[in-house]
Amino acid sequence: MIEFDRVSRRFGDIHALRYLSLTIDQGEMAFLTGHSGAGKSTLLRLLLLLDRPSGGDIRVCGESTAKIGTGSVPQYRRRFGVVFQDHRLLFDRSVHDNVALPLAMAGYAPRESQRRVRAALDKVGLLALERANPASLSGGELQRVGIARAVVAKPEFLIADEPTGNLDPALSSEIMSLFEAFNQVGVTVLVATHDLPLISRLRHRILTLSAGSLAGQESG
Amino acid sequence: MARPFSTLLIWLVVAISLALPSTFLLTLDNLGRVAPDLTRGAQLSVMLRSKADLAAARLVEQRVGAWPEVSQVSLIPREQALMEFAEQTGLSSVLMSLENNPLPHTLLVEPAPDLNKTAATALVGRLAQLSEVERVIQDTRWMARLQEALLAGWRWVTAIGSAMVLGAVLALITTMHLVIDARREEIEVVSVMGGSAAFIRRPFLYTGVYFGAGGGVLASLCVWLFSAWLAQPVDALLALYDMASPLRGPGAFYSACLLAIGVCLGWLAALIALRRYLRSLEI
Ligand SMILES: Nc1ncnc2c1ncn2[C@@H]1O[C@H](COP(=O)(O)OP(=O)(O)OP(=O)(O)O)[C@@H](O)[C@H]1O
Ligand SMILES: [Mg+2]
Repeated sequence: MIEFDRVSRRFGDIHALRYLSLTIDQGEMAFLTGHSGAGKSTLLRLLLLLDRPSGGDIRVCGESTAKIGTGSVPQYRRRFGVVFQDHRLLFDRSVHDNVALPLAMAGYAPRESQRRVRAALDKVGLLALERANPASLSGGELQRVGIARAVVAKPEFLIADEPTGNLDPALSSEIMSLFEAFNQVGVTVLVATHDLPLISRLRHRILTLSAGSLAGQESG
Repeated sequence: MARPFSTLLIWLVVAISLALPSTFLLTLDNLGRVAPDLTRGAQLSVMLRSKADLAAARLVEQRVGAWPEVSQVSLIPREQALMEFAEQTGLSSVLMSLENNPLPHTLLVEPAPDLNKTAATALVGRLAQLSEVERVIQDTRWMARLQEALLAGWRWVTAIGSAMVLGAVLALITTMHLVIDARREEIEVVSVMGGSAAFIRRPFLYTGVYFGAGGGVLASLCVWLFSAWLAQPVDALLALYDMASPLRGPGAFYSACLLAIGVCLGWLAALIALRRYLRSLEI
């Protein structure tokens, strides 16, 4: 469970978030939407401890993140799988090695790592491209490799910031179904997106931010 | 890993910065070891007691001249010594006004060239035991000068060496910055995914060690080549002074030291270069 309790984040005079309170339940899938500059990315960055709030508290599974010190941040972040808009794959290594990265930092043995990477690539339908270089992949394929990398270490939470921002509607819908598939096996999913037509077709809660505050939420 | 050309470049920078001071160190080390041997040929000044007259002095001169461990003896009568002293110091009027000549007769004793150190010391003792002898002075002034020069040399090498090592570290840090910059994206992604500082650091520390170790190996190669090149003329020179070659090459320990220093410098430079990047990632 993720709880934002009157969270504020100011950048000088700009209130990126103001007294924002919201809750995402364990095992839920939710969308985060709102105009550009509404504070979606800021919210996700605060959740990943890439930034700290100016006020308020963020709790994950009941524990305040304010108490997490620098040394424990990496361990905390490993509970999250993150998908970026621009995939952020590393072009100096194969698809397999990109996906294996979270396992390497968690200290998996090569054999177990290999097995998990192949399972994750299989789930996103890209096992055939295991040995390929990411540079030779299409936009939709890159994003699916990004998702495989996010889920390979079996995180509790899957976080995505505009994962379909660069994709056409058909591919976007395909990516969203992948997120739903992972949600169905128990992963809590939070996706920030502008793609209202797509998410209104799906039956999940939609949290709308406006100027740093929660403007509304409709359950799917 | 960095491109081969920049790798070669940083290896050379580290190698030169380490090889130059270590060559000087090796030279000084060799000189320091040769120096005591050089005292063997040193002249001895034997001051006779003031009650010994010129005839007695001539007798001593003859006696000592017959010893096998002595190659040559010359007598400097006290009058001649005073005159020379007056000339050298410009104090002639003062000295001439003295009633008695304060200087004794002096024998200059040249030890045999093949005398070793213990025999030379024994010779000094034997001379000192003669009843006419007041004291024996080893002409060690130039030795003292050599020692001073060696000390100055050590300090000089320490100063230049530190400056060059600092230069190597700065060059290593700059290169590490380039290496890290090229992989900034990777560091950021890994950090977001929960890579620890140690995990992020590791490959860069290896790269730093690779740079430093390569430089260290090249440096000891340079020192080897240089000392091999120097060995022949130095041996020839020392042969003229009847000395066996004392010149020593860098040896395994020396090379291991250079390698270890290179490794430490590379590791240190990588750590310093990483600090800035890791700090910007910490919250
Ligand atoms: N590091 C920062 N320094 C200054 N201002 C910032 C910073 N990060 C975000 N902001 C500001 O905070 C506000 C919210 O930004 P945020 O990126 O969270 O919006 P968003 O909802 O993700 O927008 P978009 O849909 O365009 O991605 C914006 O006005 C932005 O300019
Ligand atoms: Mg954003």
